[in-house]
Amino acid sequence: MAQRLALRRLLSLTPRGPPASPGRAFGTSAGRRSTFNVQDGSDFQDRVVNSPKPVVVDFHAQWCGPCKILGPRLEKMVAKQEGKVVMAKVDIDDHTDLAIEYEVSAVPTVLAMKNGDVVDKFVGIKDEDQLEAFLKKLIGA
Amino acid sequence: MEMNGLAPVPDSYDYDLIVIGGGSGGLAAAKEAAKYEKKVMVLDFVKPTPQGSSWGLGGTCVNVGCIPKKLMHQAALLGQALQDSRKFGWQFTEEVKHNWMTMTESVQNYIGSLNWGYRVALRDNKVTYENAYGEFVGPHTIKATNKRGVEKLYTAERFLIATGERPRYLGIPGDKEYCISSDDLFSLPYCPGKTLVVGASYVALECAGFLAGLGLDVTVMVRSILLRGFDQDMANKIGEYMKEHGVNFIREFVPTKVEQLEEGTPGRLKVTAKSTTGDQIIEGEYNTVLLAIGRDPCTRKIGLDKVGVNINEKTGKIPVSDEEQTNVPYIYAVGDILQDKLELTPVAIQAGRLLVRRLYAGATTKCDYVNVPTTVFTPLEYGACGYSEETAVEKFGEENIEVYHSHFWPLEWTVPSRDNNKCYAKIICNIQDNERVIGFHVLGPNAGEVTQGFAAAIKCGMTKEQLDNTIGIHPVCAEVFTTLSVTKRSGESTLVSGC
Repeated sequence: MAQRLALRRLLSLTPRGPPASPGRAFGTSAGRRSTFNVQDGSDFQDRVVNSPKPVVVDFHAQWCGPCKILGPRLEKMVAKQEGKVVMAKVDIDDHTDLAIEYEVSAVPTVLAMKNGDVVDKFVGIKDEDQLEAFLKKLIGA
Repeated sequence: MEMNGLAPVPDSYDYDLIVIGGGSGGLAAAKEAAKYEKKVMVLDFVKPTPQGSSWGLGGTCVNVGCIPKKLMHQAALLGQALQDSRKFGWQFTEEVKHNWMTMTESVQNYIGSLNWGYRVALRDNKVTYENAYGEFVGPHTIKATNKRGVEKLYTAERFLIATGERPRYLGIPGDKEYCISSDDLFSLPYCPGKTLVVGASYVALECAGFLAGLGLDVTVMVRSILLRGFDQDMANKIGEYMKEHGVNFIREFVPTKVEQLEEGTPGRLKVTAKSTTGDQIIEGEYNTVLLAIGRDPCTRKIGLDKVGVNINEKTGKIPVSDEEQTNVPYIYAVGDILQDKLELTPVAIQAGRLLVRRLYAGATTKCDYVNVPTTVFTPLEYGACGYSEETAVEKFGEENIEVYHSHFWPLEWTVPSRDNNKCYAKIICNIQDNERVIGFHVLGPNAGEVTQGFAAAIKCGMTKEQLDNTIGIHPVCAEVFTTLSVTKRSGESTLVSGC
């Protein structure tokens, strides 16, 4: 996707998700604190692979229509889990190495990770009930 | 291991094949080579335009060529369809307007998915990809520089140059500072507004065409003829149609300077131009100036001199054998940079694939550059395969060719009362060879779809009689080709009045 246009979209349009924030949740306003944008490979290592809590990783792209629907929906369902799971967002064009390492082909691809391992995964859009079940399974298992 | 009867080659290179350029030709060749278990690397790097535009993996066609062009052409066609629709009973009271940003974002989103698709395809085929600028530094050795300036050296047994071309600038004051090219147009983050298109290439006419179709005020400044190299009878009809549909033409002028009157998105530019036939000077004011005067091969700064690859010094093109080999036996080239070959995506893809099969799978088939069909996506589309009328006359002699032609009126245009006797069909036959069809030309909607099938027939050596024996499909535009009877030689009228 052409870079001048992508930059303008970043600067002018409404933000796609909550700004990056520390991983620790304090219970209140859990929505904002339970989701963050991965900054680079070592950030991923610290906050996803080494995370004490289970993590859902949302691989998305600016040019992907369905991602714009799934992203907010997943964030909402993660927020409802009261801090038991956090969500990491990875833009596959910014972090292609990560996307390739985790074998992402199509987007959105969502991975469920626990103790650094991928324990579950889905590709494409899901509705709220399906997401709830996905998250509950990750937390409970 | 011997190769082509030359001295044995050591088995110690980093890669079997390094492809420089991740466009249509380069990617097709790389993926094909990987199928034969070869160790392949693709280097792709886009140097930003003077305006700062850049793009991802896939080359010109995907990012700043065929794909966005056809999508924007479609946007313009839909505008026309909306107008026609009222006559077919659709009722809507509001004025229909076009939003440039909505269209451009949709187009760029699709391109983004293609860029990613190519990354995945290379990964799945186990081809190494680096977003780095490749240049030769010595025999079998290439230096790859990424956007942070980090350099790495790689060696390979063979190389494929597929670096493509970039738009040419005029070399006048203000050209790089204020003008845009097709490299910028398809991702322009603001509507271009009143636009001057400089050039008469298919890029110029296609862009002018869809910009006008979207409702913009468009002027095309032409130095001499339209669509050089194409059948001029057809080129003139294309120009006439565009003129009748609101595109302004300034003929026989060239810009001499571009100045900025006001900054903005878009701003205001003043263009001064000089006549090519006299001393007359004119000035005009536009929001955007789009240069489409030609494209130059990216062959001058990739170290070809370090490895002794000959290029045409004047044009930058690389002469190759009919097996796409340069004068250096282990270096090959494919795509738009080739001298005396066609600048088309499917040609580059086919040439790349066949080359790789000859190198690694023992195949012998060479790329056939004859009778390659093309389509120009101007507002009235033009599909062609084989000889233009001029070239046929030159090669065979006027008395030895028979030109059959006819106008036609697409059924879909009748109800909304659109342009009768503008669409046109023409075939050129070789009298001395059973009236074999050696040239096919169609001006009308869906010209590409119409032409594709006839290209296969021409490859099979179809004659006029076989064409006449083919029964038409009704009611479609293409059926006109099955009932051509009027020759140019007879001088009879070809105008039609309906079914």
